[in-house]
Amino acid sequence: MAKLTPDELEKISKSNHEKSSNWIKVGMSTCGIAAGAGEIFDFLLEEVKKRNLQIEVKKCGCQGNCYAEPLVEVSVEGLPAVTYGKVNKEVATKIIEKHVIAKMLVNDYIYDSLT
Amino acid sequence: MYEKTVLIKDTDLRREDKTRQAYTQFLDHLRQNDQHSRIQVVRVADVGLYDKGLVIKVLPDRITYANVQDRDLERIANSLCENKEAIKDLVYKPKVKQEKLALRNCGKIDPENINEYIACGGYLGLKRAIFELGAEKVIEEVKTGAIRGRGGAGYPTWLKWNFACKVSSEQKFVICNADEGDPGAYMDRSILEGDPHSVLEGLIVAAFAVGASRAYFYVRAEYPLAVERIEKAIKAAYDYGLLGKNILGSSFCLDAEIRLGAGAFVCGEETALISSIEGRRGTPHPRPPYPSIKGLWGKPTVINNVETLANIPQLISKGGKWFAQIGTETSKGTKVFAVTGKVKNSGLVEIAMGATLREIVVDLCGGTLSGGPIKAIQTGGPSGGVIPQELLDTPVDYENLQKLGSIMGSGGMIVMDEDDCMVDIPKFYLGFCVDESCGKCAPCRIGGFQMLNYLKKITEGRGELNDLIHLKRISYAMQKASLCGLGQTASNPVLSTLKYFENEYIEHIVNKRCPAGKCNHLITYKVIEDKCKRCGLCSTNCPVNAISGDKEKGYSIIQEKCIKCGRCFEVCKFKAIYKK
Ligand SMILES: Cc1cc2nc3c(=O)[nH]c(=O)nc-3n(C[C@H](O)[C@H](O)[C@H](O)COP(=O)(O)O)c2cc1C
Ligand code: SF4
Ligand code: SF4
Repeated sequence: MAKLTPDELEKISKSNHEKSSNWIKVGMSTCGIAAGAGEIFDFLLEEVKKRNLQIEVKKCGCQGNCYAEPLVEVSVEGLPAVTYGKVNKEVATKIIEKHVIAKMLVNDYIYDSLT
Repeated sequence: MYEKTVLIKDTDLRREDKTRQAYTQFLDHLRQNDQHSRIQVVRVADVGLYDKGLVIKVLPDRITYANVQDRDLERIANSLCENKEAIKDLVYKPKVKQEKLALRNCGKIDPENINEYIACGGYLGLKRAIFELGAEKVIEEVKTGAIRGRGGAGYPTWLKWNFACKVSSEQKFVICNADEGDPGAYMDRSILEGDPHSVLEGLIVAAFAVGASRAYFYVRAEYPLAVERIEKAIKAAYDYGLLGKNILGSSFCLDAEIRLGAGAFVCGEETALISSIEGRRGTPHPRPPYPSIKGLWGKPTVINNVETLANIPQLISKGGKWFAQIGTETSKGTKVFAVTGKVKNSGLVEIAMGATLREIVVDLCGGTLSGGPIKAIQTGGPSGGVIPQELLDTPVDYENLQKLGSIMGSGGMIVMDEDDCMVDIPKFYLGFCVDESCGKCAPCRIGGFQMLNYLKKITEGRGELNDLIHLKRISYAMQKASLCGLGQTASNPVLSTLKYFENEYIEHIVNKRCPAGKCNHLITYKVIEDKCKRCGLCSTNCPVNAISGDKEKGYSIIQEKCIKCGRCFEVCKFKAIYKK
């Protein structure tokens, strides 16, 4: 990779770190992984591939709500970005089928305490 | 596609959960007005408010209604259906909000992707430092921002940097202290795992300011994921020319590497940490000379905590003035707390200095797990103390906590309720310090051991009132004469519990009773004959066969055999076991 000049640095800083507004972020710090985030990450990745969905599944750090890990934040065009907590495979399936495909938020698992 | 989203949650735990009912009502109302395809309603697990009745939040406007009554539900639904403004008299304005500086990117960006960090303004602080400010003005900015060390002592960061900057030496070092050994604290781990570049950038700026050519991350080996992410961050920074020779094309050069700590608590102390990096035994040394004058291999060395460094990039890119607006007169910026113990929502909270303990623990974390009262809050880990419930409205900053006999420390906050014993808690912390004492100086080595013996004696029912005087005397001696912070502060948990909960000590000593029911030696389990239904559950569950009897005769506990494990108390469905 080439060394950056100050101008090139400035240029990257003006880019948008979210390439599109369709993404799923899984909290993958120690607390998340201990609660099973690794499995959920793999599961979501696989489902997205299997169903050929246009959404990126990404890793991120811990948002702080360790009591509700694994945390999965979902942004889909046309819906507010929300964070689901205590996500297991069942909830992850709902996220894919209801939130990502049917474009409706999933009841009972949203943690809106992060703002 | 929905124009609006309505989040619903009943936050009153004392009644039957009304979330579903309100949800249905709201949805029906939308349907009647044919608005359900324009507005969606969702039941949520947590709305960020606690004990505020039925809460309704409208997105994207972020209007919050709390303590919503049945009749208001319709008003709110109507206002949405008709696209009217928020109903002012029902709107709830939250008292406290988190303010994320150190955790600004945690959970937002991919920690292993340097481009995402840069796209969030990363490394612009470094750029400003090198090309606009120069070393002296960087220190000026940090002075204006008035940030103080987040690693425990709260020493002004600019002063340290200034000392090291002023000393002339052919080599200087900067070290990031990521040893984080306090039981219950994990803010530093979370920052390193969630946003390693922010800490790295802070460290590079520090090196630039003092003129260091080498930087170290001292990380405890128990943090493998943090180590992995720092490694990746360092590599990416080298690739981009943000580390190595001629950083960003300037004349500034810096190399960085990781050193692993083997997990001794005392190695977090700066002089012990330096010894450990040098490959010697990790024991503290007398100061002065301070590391900023004579540190690693005898060279000027700046040591800063992870959270301190994570704040630096923004302080530099946005300026010291901006930073100094946040917080209180003497303590600027924010602090990250790891809230654990008997709390409903354990986790990390970052809040501007000056927020009260009650706001942190009750408003943001939802109060106790059981919904019952808080007895006290422990801050500062083994070097800190307890703050009783009646002082929870104290604004948190370095000075205030110290006045109360505790310390800010690194930011651990443990919530305690009626089941926590105020003699057992300090015994735990003191035990930790005795285990972790390096043994180099007598006050800490011997004093800690003696104090622990007195506490053991008291919790085992052999205490005498005189012991309290001994405890205090040894405490003062340790504070005055110990070589390092570990010994100097190890007695804080004891002194602060003695200050606020002396009665509880006296109860243990005089009445041989533990009010919280924690100290095994002071509790007895008995079968209450009137309540016992003779089911025999306790007897089958007792691990040492200490419950004799049968379904005919009834049951009783043989006190000599009982190891006070509490199994019988837990399993009895008829509350027929008495514990006192
Ligand atoms: C026993 C003991 C343990 C310590 N552990 C840590 C630690 O784990 N992390 C840390 O940053 N500072 C720790 N400190 C404080 C450091 O000595 C030092 O003050 C701090 O790293 C300076 O950074 P700051 O000015 O950014 O807070 C400890 C101090 C003592 C006495
Ligand atoms: S105070 Fe304790 S830990 Fe510190 S140098 Fe003395 S014996 Fe070692
Ligand atoms: S407290 Fe434990 S040991 Fe004692 S009687 Fe009950 S079950 Fe047995």
